Amino acid sequence: MSAGRLALWLYGGAIVAFLCLPIAIVAAVSFGPSVIVHFPPAGFSWRWYANYVGSGPWLAATWLSVELGIAVAAAATALGTFAAIAIVRGQFLGRRAVEFLLISPMVAPTIVLALGLYLLLAPWKLVGTPIALFLAHTLVAMPIVVVIAGAALKRTDASMELAARSLGAGFWRTLWYVTLPTIRPALVSSAAFAFLTSFDEVVLAIFLGGPGAATLPKRMWEGIKNELDPTLTAVSTILVVVSLAALAVVELSRRGERSRQA
Amino acid sequence: MDAAPDLNSGGTGGGGGSAPAASPWRPRPDWLVAFALVFFAVVYAYPLVRLVAWSFWAPGFTFRNFAQIVAEPAYLQAFYNTVEIAGIATAVCLALGYPLAYLMATTDPRPRMILGALILIPFWTSVLVRTLAWVVLLGRNGIINQALLAWGLVERPIPLVFNNIGVQIGMVHVLLPFMVLPLYAVMARIDPSLVTAARSLGASPARAFLAVFAPLSLPGVVAGASLVFLMALGFYVTPALLGGPNEITVATLIEIMVRDLLDWGSGAALGLLLLAGVASVFAAGAVYAGAGRLVGAERA
Amino acid sequence: MARIMKPSRRQILKASAALGAAAASGPFFHIGPAKADKGELVVASWGGSWAKALREVMFDDFEKMTGIKVSDDGPPEAAKVKAMVESGNVTWDILDTDVPAILTMMKNNLLMPLDYAKIDADKLAKIPKVLHHSHAIGHKIYSFNIVYNSKTFPRGKQPASWADVWNGDKFKGARSFNFRGGIYPQLEFALLADGVATEQLYPLDVERAWRIYDKLRPLVTKWYGSHAEAIQLLSTGEVDIACTVGPRGISAKRAGAPIDVDYSQGKLAADNWAIVRGAKNPEAAHQFINFALAGERQAGMSKRDPYGPSNPDAFKFLSESEAADLTTSPANIKSQFWHGVDWWSKVGPDNKTEAERQTERYAAWMLRRI
Repeated sequence: MSAGRLALWLYGGAIVAFLCLPIAIVAAVSFGPSVIVHFPPAGFSWRWYANYVGSGPWLAATWLSVELGIAVAAAATALGTFAAIAIVRGQFLGRRAVEFLLISPMVAPTIVLALGLYLLLAPWKLVGTPIALFLAHTLVAMPIVVVIAGAALKRTDASMELAARSLGAGFWRTLWYVTLPTIRPALVSSAAFAFLTSFDEVVLAIFLGGPGAATLPKRMWEGIKNELDPTLTAVSTILVVVSLAALAVVELSRRGERSRQA
Repeated sequence: MDAAPDLNSGGTGGGGGSAPAASPWRPRPDWLVAFALVFFAVVYAYPLVRLVAWSFWAPGFTFRNFAQIVAEPAYLQAFYNTVEIAGIATAVCLALGYPLAYLMATTDPRPRMILGALILIPFWTSVLVRTLAWVVLLGRNGIINQALLAWGLVERPIPLVFNNIGVQIGMVHVLLPFMVLPLYAVMARIDPSLVTAARSLGASPARAFLAVFAPLSLPGVVAGASLVFLMALGFYVTPALLGGPNEITVATLIEIMVRDLLDWGSGAALGLLLLAGVASVFAAGAVYAGAGRLVGAERA
Repeated sequence: MARIMKPSRRQILKASAALGAAAASGPFFHIGPAKADKGELVVASWGGSWAKALREVMFDDFEKMTGIKVSDDGPPEAAKVKAMVESGNVTWDILDTDVPAILTMMKNNLLMPLDYAKIDADKLAKIPKVLHHSHAIGHKIYSFNIVYNSKTFPRGKQPASWADVWNGDKFKGARSFNFRGGIYPQLEFALLADGVATEQLYPLDVERAWRIYDKLRPLVTKWYGSHAEAIQLLSTGEVDIACTVGPRGISAKRAGAPIDVDYSQGKLAADNWAIVRGAKNPEAAHQFINFALAGERQAGMSKRDPYGPSNPDAFKFLSESEAADLTTSPANIKSQFWHGVDWWSKVGPDNKTEAERQTERYAAWMLRRI
């Protein structure tokens, strides 16, 4: 390896360490026994996890986030996949513009979306309810589905669908038995990412949530501002594990795709 | 995630017009988009219309909300803060991200897979977790100050958080993957034989890189930089938790307007201005690099 | 209305998700804010240990005595109350909040006038007139004080005046002051630091106060947004001195945090009971307020959370040591002054109260680079 190459690896390694180490340190700290955050931890203890498991509000927030994430994943995957099929397999005018529109919430400032959604939902008395969060999270989760499912549809060609149709399969039968199975790994990835988007979302949760709809990130936000006790590091570690699990699901589904294609 | 396309499976997602075959479906599936469009009309378009209405209404049509923002130097300062923070974060992300993306694009599949995973894992980790990590690390009695004191490098804790340093560190940490992923997507497609050819014609490694590789990677730079910059413009969580008065951004100012001053008109006007700023950066980036590259990173 | 009462401030913008928790379990589509139907009251408070004490001292007994169920919710942010009243979907009956919030809500016509005929005359006679308000009544006295880290400053060497707090050479250490969360800029303390006498504070010399505030800026390492945050900053050692609510400092001290309070030149204020306009159960709401103003009830609250009772009867139910570090104890109250509600609530020609004007100015001041 040349000196330049080695320097590049050291640089890259340092940057990757910068990205990963803080998360690893929070995880390490969460197993420490003391109230004051020390690194390396002075011992090993489940104390902060016990605190989390024993806390009604934390558990309630967790369940809300899980339920919300599942509902959002289902809705966003359904809406987004249908839209992607129409955009990729359809021929209507302005497909590009529609795709652009459906992807745009991904880059719109969340605080502006929160403001607009508040104005939409307040007259309907939905602010502070899980329904508000469901609608808002579905909006920001759907673009990922459109991107992933759209890319998968572009990679597969439509001849199977044509064959199915010419053999007399109806529209829905073709969709259900041909199109969707072909892009199944992308659907699994989409759903996993949509779940994670909702599960980790903070800004909408702060603005549109309330005491009756406090998600895990909302409680964490309040905790970081007001309490900063080590239970937060335990909750953080749990969030990291959920992210890892979702990424593992995505990876496994992609492997499945490759091995089937092989 | 060992192969190049997996890291940016959305990277090709831009052009709806590039479907491989004309639709074979009869009736065509066009109408399936209606569900999403109806949902968007209600939950996306209509709220933005409400926002526009609020920003020009006080009551009655007026420019008062905008005039108030322009007339108050302090509010303009928030725009300046926002652009400054986003600009610095973008520059730092580019400086850190370009070599990393280059490394990934030019290395073997296995180390590339590992690097990719180590970028994607933080990428998909909650922003709050990462912000908490920096609070724990950078605080006055945080891990870094503890270490600096223990090693005798400083006499008293140095302020690393609730100021510009804290915000920049936190922002770069969150935004760096948004730079690396589009950069990598472009670099992975650069034919290495072009650089080899330049070398064989007698160019030094540096010259071969600058004359051949760098220009070809430019679309990635533009895509990554515009993506990071526009994400940074609308960022709320990191400046709010890691910043101080000099890091009050437009996003925070919107929250101040709405929560503390109950001034929804000005809040909506600020939101509209922020949205316009983000949209123009997006449009500029999209014109140059293609919208697909901008959102190819799979996550906003 | 302005002449009616003195104290003020705002407390914790801490959300009390802790309390809504009970409501938040169960299938997700059926969760909503607690409903205020007939025979049920919803009391919105700022959460934390105070809300826990309310449940133990007030709500449980009130439920037993009257059969009216009491749910807790919160935080009672003006923006939330506004959304509720304007949408016609009022889910809260009673608010437990500070004067700035009360004034904001009164100005926006979000509160119901209190019917003093429904409150026992002997209680009203004992509660200082200064706390009687057309739309609210003070029940819990707190104060803004010099709260400090007792490891950095051992008792006796602590900053004991606002001039000390402003003096970064004599008292080295990081400061924290409030910004946002509905807490006013501490203009009184700036003037006191500059040598103005307590009796001559009001009307505030605003320009002078802001000039003195400029000098505070380099000393403050973190502007806190809620009192819970201020206490957190003190106990983790992130700052050494905070201008925050003394009783919260005392409460943290009792819990073992390295925190103490100097009551000198403190600013006294009160939290109030108020009824939301359009509350579904105003009769029961008055009944509850009457119940909650009893000295014995207030004493029970002070035992759990060291705030000062507004009904002096409460001291009959408190031991000497329990009364000693309450902000309204004879020793502590005499070195403090009452927050000037009259001045802060004065409406100018621009139809803005002084509080609104100074809050706007605070945001602008904060954004200015000094």
